[in-house]
Amino acid sequence: MRRILRCHAIVLGVAAALALAGCSGNGDTAKTAAGGKGLEKTTIKVGGLPIPDVAPLHIAIAKGYFKEEGLTVEPVVITGGAAAIPQIKSGALDISQGNYVSAFLATSKGDKLKMIADMYQAAPNTFNVMVPKDSPIKTVADLKGKTVLVNNLKNIAQLAVTTQLKVAGLGETDVKFVEKPFPDMANAVTTGQADAAWMTEPFITSTQSQLGFRKLVDTMTGQMEDFPIAGWMATEDWTQKNPKTLAAFQRAIGKAQALAAGDRKEVEKVLPTYTKIDAQAASVITLGSYPTELNENRLQKVADLMLEYKYLESPVAAKSIIVTAAGG
Amino acid sequence: MIGARLLRGLAGAAGFLVAGELVIRFALSSDVIYPPPSVVLYEAARLLADPDFLAGVVMTLRNWALGLLAAVVVAVPLGVLLGALSPVERAVRPLLEFLRPIPSVAIIPLAILLIPVDMAMKVSVIVYASVWPILINTLYGMHDVDPVAKDSLRSFGFGSLAVLRRVSLPSAAPFVATGIRIAAGIALILAISAELLAGGTDGMGVYVIQAASGNRTDLMLAATFWAGAFGLISNAILTAAERRLFHWHRMRTGAQES
Repeated sequence: MRRILRCHAIVLGVAAALALAGCSGNGDTAKTAAGGKGLEKTTIKVGGLPIPDVAPLHIAIAKGYFKEEGLTVEPVVITGGAAAIPQIKSGALDISQGNYVSAFLATSKGDKLKMIADMYQAAPNTFNVMVPKDSPIKTVADLKGKTVLVNNLKNIAQLAVTTQLKVAGLGETDVKFVEKPFPDMANAVTTGQADAAWMTEPFITSTQSQLGFRKLVDTMTGQMEDFPIAGWMATEDWTQKNPKTLAAFQRAIGKAQALAAGDRKEVEKVLPTYTKIDAQAASVITLGSYPTELNENRLQKVADLMLEYKYLESPVAAKSIIVTAAGG
Repeated sequence: MIGARLLRGLAGAAGFLVAGELVIRFALSSDVIYPPPSVVLYEAARLLADPDFLAGVVMTLRNWALGLLAAVVVAVPLGVLLGALSPVERAVRPLLEFLRPIPSVAIIPLAILLIPVDMAMKVSVIVYASVWPILINTLYGMHDVDPVAKDSLRSFGFGSLAVLRRVSLPSAAPFVATGIRIAAGIALILAISAELLAGGTDGMGVYVIQAASGNRTDLMLAATFWAGAFGLISNAILTAAERRLFHWHRMRTGAQES
C-alpha cells in the first residue's frame, strides 16, 4: 500500500511539472476577438531578416502606421526566408519575410502560402558575383570549372548566377556551387576554398573597400533585371481567418513602402535600429527598390524563369500565391 | 594555493590571447578578415552598454534558467523513481539509451515545426537536452547507495520510504548535483543554438544573427565571448555549491579537486 502511495505521489509530481512546463508559454498568443477596428488579431508577430529588405516594416513601426490601424506588430528576427516557412505554418509567426523563389518552390511542393505584400526588388549592383583583386577570373566564362559560393543552394543565388552563365555560353553544371553564409564568404575566397562569391550588401561594399574585391558581374541584369526578391508571406489559412488584420497590415506596410521608395534617407535612418549596419555603412551601400504594389505579372516572371531553369517541374501561376489588398 | 592555481590559469588564458593576437596581426595574410582578441574584448566590454544585447542576455538566461529548472523537476524524481524500482528501470532503460545519444540540437528543427510558441519551443529543447545528464547521474547515485546502510536501517524496522529519505536520497544527492552542473552547460548550448536556428525577438543567439547579417564579425565574437563567460561563471558557482554542500562526499570518495 505504501509503495503504491509513493508511486502516486511521484507520478503526480512529474505530471504537475509537465503541466507547468506546458502551460508556461500560452500567455503570449494574443487573440483578441474584438480589436479597435474589428481586427481578428490586434497583436501579430512578423518575421524579418536583419537586412535592408525589411526596412519598411521598421519604418511603419517607428512612424506608427500599424498603430493607426489598431495593430501591434512584434518584429521577430528570422534566420532565413525558407527557414521561416515552418514558423508561419506552426503559428509561431503570423507573417514573415519570404523570398519569391522559396515561396514558389514551397508552393510547388504543396505548401499553401500566400504573398500578401511586395517588399524588395533587385536594383543594379545589389547582387554581384565578387572575386579577389588578383583573381585570374576576368569574365563570367572564366568561371568554368570554378567554385562559386552562394548563401543557399537551389535558390535565388544559384538561379541568378546560372542566368549569367547562360549568357556566357555555360550551364549550371559548369561551375561548382557551394553553400556558405555571407559573412564567411570573403575569407573562404581569400583562403582558396572557393574562386568567387555571390554577395549582397553590406558585404559587396565592405569586401570592395577592405579587401579590394572586384565585381565580376552584376547578376541582376538580363533575365534577372528588376527581379522581385522578397515579399511578405502568410499561410493561406491565416489569410482566410484574418482578412481584416491582413488588410490593416497591407495598408500600413504599403504606406511605409511608398515612403522608402521615395526617400532613401528614411531607409538609412532606420537601418541602424534593427541591423548592425551603422549609419556610415548605411549611407554608402547600394539598396534595391521598394515596390509599392504586389504585381502578378512581375511575379510570374519569377515562376517562368524557375521553370526555364528547372527549379520548378511544372508551371505555377503567380496569381495562385497572391492575396492583394482585399478591401476592408 | 588556490591563488597560485588561479594565477597559472590566468597566465594560460593571457598567453593564449597574446598568441592569438600576434598570429592574427602578423602571421595571417592581411586579406583575411578576422578580428584579433583585443578588438573582440574591446567590443565585448562595449556590449555591456548595448541595450539590445542586454535584452538578449536577459532573454537567453531566462530561458536557460527555466529550462534547467524544469529539467531538474522532471529528471530528479524520475531518476529516484527508476533507481528505487529496478523492474521499471529495466523496462525503461532501452528507450532512455536510445533517446539519450540523439544530438539535442538535431531536434530543434522538429521543435520549431511542432511548438508554435517561441519561448515554449526554446525552453522545451533546453529541457530535453538537460534531462539526460541529471537523470543518468541520479540513477547512478541511486545505484551507488551503500547496501549495508540500507539493510541496517531496514533491520531496525524502518520502512522503505524512510530508507529512501534517510539513506538513498542523501547518498545520491552529490551525484544529482554533478548532473545538474553538467546539464547547466548543456542547457546554455541549447539556449543559444535554438536562437541561432529559430531566431526570435531577443537573445544572445539572435544578436549573433544580427551581427552576422551586418558583416560585424567582431560583434559576433564579442557576443560569443559572453556566452563562454556565462558558461564559465555558472560552472564555477555550481562547483562551489557542490563543494560546500557535499564536502563530506568528496572526503568519503577521496575525489580529487576538479
